[in-house]
Amino acid sequence: MDFSVIFDPQDGPAVIVCPKRLDVNNSAQLKDLLNELITRSRYNIILDLEKTKYMDSSGLGAIVSRIADLRANGGDVRIAAARNNAAGLFRLTHLDKILHLYDTVSDARKSLEEQK
Amino acid sequence: MNPAAYFHRLEPDYNRPVYELPAKLLKRIRRRMAFLYGNENLDGLMTELERVLQVYYAHKSEVMISWDSNFDPVNRFTEKDVILITYGDLIRGAHQKPLKTLAEFCQTYFKKAFNTLHILPFFPYSSDRGFAVMDFEEVDPQLGTWEDILALKKDFKLMFDGVLNHVSSKSRWFQEFLNQNPAYIDFFTVFSTRTEISPDHLKLITRPRTSDLLSEFQTLRGTRLVWSTFSHDQIDLNYKNPQVMLKMIDILLFYVRRGADMIRLDAVTYLWEELGTTSAHLSQTHESIRLLRDILDAVAPHVALITETNVPHRENIKYFGNGFDEAQMVYNFALPPLVLHAFQNENCRVLSRWAADLKYVSPQATFFNFLDSHDGIGVMAVQGILSPAEIDRMALKVLEHGGYISYKANGDGTDSPYELNITWYSAINREDGPESLDLKIRRYLASRAIALVLQGVPGIYLHGLLGSHNDADAVLEEGSTRSINRRTISKKELRAALSDNKSNISRITSALLDLIKLRTGEHAFHPNALQQVFMVSDALFVIQRTAIGEEEKILCVINITGIPQVVRFAKDAIGRKSNALTDIITGKLYKFRDGNLTLKCRPYHILWLKGK
Repeated sequence: MDFSVIFDPQDGPAVIVCPKRLDVNNSAQLKDLLNELITRSRYNIILDLEKTKYMDSSGLGAIVSRIADLRANGGDVRIAAARNNAAGLFRLTHLDKILHLYDTVSDARKSLEEQK
Repeated sequence: MNPAAYFHRLEPDYNRPVYELPAKLLKRIRRRMAFLYGNENLDGLMTELERVLQVYYAHKSEVMISWDSNFDPVNRFTEKDVILITYGDLIRGAHQKPLKTLAEFCQTYFKKAFNTLHILPFFPYSSDRGFAVMDFEEVDPQLGTWEDILALKKDFKLMFDGVLNHVSSKSRWFQEFLNQNPAYIDFFTVFSTRTEISPDHLKLITRPRTSDLLSEFQTLRGTRLVWSTFSHDQIDLNYKNPQVMLKMIDILLFYVRRGADMIRLDAVTYLWEELGTTSAHLSQTHESIRLLRDILDAVAPHVALITETNVPHRENIKYFGNGFDEAQMVYNFALPPLVLHAFQNENCRVLSRWAADLKYVSPQATFFNFLDSHDGIGVMAVQGILSPAEIDRMALKVLEHGGYISYKANGDGTDSPYELNITWYSAINREDGPESLDLKIRRYLASRAIALVLQGVPGIYLHGLLGSHNDADAVLEEGSTRSINRRTISKKELRAALSDNKSNISRITSALLDLIKLRTGEHAFHPNALQQVFMVSDALFVIQRTAIGEEEKILCVINITGIPQVVRFAKDAIGRKSNALTDIITGKLYKFRDGNLTLKCRPYHILWLKGK
């Protein structure tokens, strides 16, 4: 299963729904997606990891592959519904101190709205 | 005769007259001991200290005594000094102890460029890749033996780690504490309950970690909480106990007997703990370093101290003392983040301004200019040089390049970046970037060239020499972000890569070795040769070095951008008499026309222009 992107019709954050595995086999796809969103000036992005049961270092790398550019443009990547392996990796690599993690997509969306 | 090969006896010679401290030094050392431990038991402590020095001295060979008596501290470091930093087991071969493999590689490939090896802690350890030492006086049998270490001295000066701030919780010293052996009860800073440290005092304490300061252990006589700056497995030694200081002096002198020419004082910032203070770089810590310096000056003047203190630059340089009484070398912690900042932003204004402000220390002391090491790129040193927003942006760029960030606790419940964990090659180059490999290698070499031309002694971590990429998988496997730059390399694969002149490793390594070899042949690159920084452009890092007592100068011009640059220097401005300068890298001649030198710099071009 591939990634899917849900666009907010009112220019709200784009939600990338990640597949069951986020690893070396599909991390380049996620990087391409982030690049494309930035090209379209979509700087607020939510990564929905609810379905993601497994993630490796490539997946982690892809998630933060444009983090500096997004923040430089006033945007951010927010993480929603990271569970088990994925949540553990964020903690182990200290990425939980940089990325904001939320239980649900709607919580992540709310945090972005409050930031405005 | 190479004195290093005839260094110390394994057995002491007590037939010779015992060593006596010269009166002036004795007085000074006594004063320092009194500052640290008061006058009450001073005579007894001094007697024991003198005994330790006498035992050390009895191990010195006649050759060594004679060589040391003629030792000139002004020429301790020269342009020949370049340090290769490595773990004892970064290169692994089949059926061979790693220290032997390391010796083979260093002798075959690196000897002509490097004259000093920093072998990271090679003692038995329980965690932190060697920095939780279980036995200070043994070589980890998995690495090799003391004979293997000594064998390296045939070709190299050696730097050992003095991991003196803490010991492993599995060490005999700490185990004896758990056994409540009276001799070890005061070796550590111990509390019975957490309430013994008030929240206000706890907040004050500066630490480079976010873990709990106090680690709980069960001892023979109940639960105890021990001060552990770095981790539950690394227990701080209590230097308020003079027996700890005496024991550590004995160990450092043992290292000298076993071949150390330089001793790196690991994490020395946190040596002395005092509730109600930050417990970082206290006056007692500086006095302890001065004490160690006096002792080495007395009995082993050829041995230098180098302090590893990832703290703000203004605090870092205090470890030089007055230039003659503390460390002979200080890790130049501000350099790596400032070079990285310059390359990330293609703008070296901050780097140039900082370099222009670097003060000459003394004829006996200098900076250790490194860009990478076994740890990450420390960012504490650039507090006050870069804004917090610039540091944050640099850290985010590191994440984009596949690296990670380590944090320290601020004491108020918040954390802030402490170091960036990434290989230097990956920090400088984005691995998934669209640029050509040629351009990436040129950019990498340009970044490294900056550390090679600055006042001081340069050092390169083995993975930096090889241009290694991030080992992201190891971070997850080993649960440590520092593992990103500690990959073990197969001897067979490395040899094949170095023999293939088209491989990335070979291209990077041979280019770097060539630059280093050029550097070691130039008096203008003496660590204390005059340096002048010319802020001619944000795109060009320009520095001129002048050989001590000579007219020879080298103008170093490094384009830190991917864009061609043109720059003009007036002959008078760079103080030249000759009509042409030679680029010692390419041999190309550059002539002054109408009193001006016009240089066309390609992207990431390095020019080292020599002449009078």
